[in-house]
Amino acid sequence: MQNRPRGFGNPWLQLALSVLCVFVSELLLKRGVTDVAEPHNAFSWTGINGLASPLVWWAILLIIASFISWLYVLRYIPLAIAFPLSRVVDILVPLGCWIFLGELISTLRWCGIALVVIGLALVAKPVAQIEERL
Amino acid sequence: MSFLAFSFIVVSLLSFVVAQLILKRAMESTTTRGFRNLRFVSLVSGGIALMTISFFLTLGLLQRFDLSYLYPFQGLSVIFITLMAAIMLKEKLNLRLTIGALLISAGIVLVSLS
Repeated sequence: MQNRPRGFGNPWLQLALSVLCVFVSELLLKRGVTDVAEPHNAFSWTGINGLASPLVWWAILLIIASFISWLYVLRYIPLAIAFPLSRVVDILVPLGCWIFLGELISTLRWCGIALVVIGLALVAKPVAQIEERL
Repeated sequence: MSFLAFSFIVVSLLSFVVAQLILKRAMESTTTRGFRNLRFVSLVSGGIALMTISFFLTLGLLQRFDLSYLYPFQGLSVIFITLMAAIMLKEKLNLRLTIGALLISAGIVLVSLS
C-alpha cells in the first residue's frame, strides 16, 4: 500500500465509488426491468426484453464503472481487506429496496437478510483469502 | 418460488463465480505471457460470456421477484467459493467458515419463505 495516490485516485475513495456504483446499478436494474416486465411471457426468462429500458443501459454503464474502479482498488488494497469492506453493499441494497423502491419487506424477510449479512461478515475475510488461491 | 426460478438463481450465481475465477486466471497469465496470446483471449472471452449469461438471467428474475427477495441469495456465492476450495484445494473448512455458511443458508431459507 505504499505510494498510494491522493485525490480522485485514492484507492479508498475508489472503493467507496465502486460500492456506490454497484448499489445504484442494482436499484436501476430493478426499476428498469419492472417498467418493461413481461412475467407471463416465457421468453422474458432470458432477460433480453430488459434491454428495452434505458435505465437498464445506465445500470450496465455503472456496472462497467464499478468493475474498472474495483480492478484499480485491487492494485493498492489486498482482496482480504477490500472484499469484506465491499460487502457494505449487502446492507445498502435491502435498505435501498425499502426506501427507494418501496418494497414491502416483512419481519421474516428482514430477519433472513440480517442472518445473511452477519454470515457474510463472518466469512468475507477467509473467503477472500481462499479466492486468492483458487 | 418455483423450482425453475431457484435453478435460474443458482445457475446465475454459479456462472458469475466461475467467470470471476476464469478472469483471475486470465489476468495471471498476462504476467508471464502478455496479452497477445490464445490462452488469455480465450479465458477472457469465456469469462465475459459467463458474466453475460449471469446478467441476463438476473434480468429475467428481476421481472418476477422483489430485489429485496432476490438479493440475499448472493450469499450463496461465497458458499460456492468455499465448496470449490474444499474440492479443488482440498481445504478443510474451519469453524468460522462453517458457522458463516450455516447463518447464510438459514437467512436464505427465511427470505425464500417470506
